[in-house]
Amino acid sequence: MSIKIRMRGKSKGGVAEIKALIKHPMESGARMNKATGKPYPAKYIDMVEVSVNGTKAIDAQWSGAVSANPYMAVKVKANAGDEVKVSLKDNTGATGEDSIKLK
Amino acid sequence: MKRRSFLKGTLATGAAAVAVNAGLLTPSTVLAADWNAKAFGAKTTDDALNAVFGSANATASGDVQLKAPAIAENGAVTPVTVDASGIDGVESIAILASKNPMPMVCEYTFGAGAVGYVSTRIKMGETMNVIAVVNAGGKLLKAEQEVKVTIGGCGG
Repeated sequence: MSIKIRMRGKSKGGVAEIKALIKHPMESGARMNKATGKPYPAKYIDMVEVSVNGTKAIDAQWSGAVSANPYMAVKVKANAGDEVKVSLKDNTGATGEDSIKLK
Repeated sequence: MKRRSFLKGTLATGAAAVAVNAGLLTPSTVLAADWNAKAFGAKTTDDALNAVFGSANATASGDVQLKAPAIAENGAVTPVTVDASGIDGVESIAILASKNPMPMVCEYTFGAGAVGYVSTRIKMGETMNVIAVVNAGGKLLKAEQEVKVTIGGCGG
């Protein structure tokens, strides 16, 4: 099942702010399930990549300490018409990606 | 009868071993080879910084603009913004929460096509400092701010 990403971005003077909202539980593996006394198994996004027109611009590594349903805003050098793509994977191997054409 | 089940058992494990050797069953650790497990597993901020940058010696700098709330009502979603766009040659930004069991929260590495700016939301278990460390041309710069947490974000 792929991870759902919603993203927006707008270029201004050669720099575009990209905002992405990701639907993911971000379970760190430390939170206890009180009913069973066992921790909820870890499931969090660990690798995130942002690319502009196919060239990698940002490479991020996350831990389970990033909030659930993560919000991320980054800035890349891009102009209107450029394609910005966000791709990610979590520690269980699930992946997701989304791309937009900048206005 | 016993001998038969014994033989069956050895045959089955033998087949599994062959599968591993042939690369059919790749251990999951191989897939996460890029992920800096040492940094994210570190128990102190210094250990984490050493694992990421090779040094924990960061100088406080006003050019690293860290924006975090003075009081976070819900520690599970603490908005944090690090703006290092005023610094030339930003290579990476790491965000740490000083008193989390594992302080390393996230790390961003920037290529030529990016600006040193990150905004995200992080989990904080209690009142502590948020630390942003910026690596610009091998120099480590940091900014630190205390965030008071009224409801913890880890466990509960």
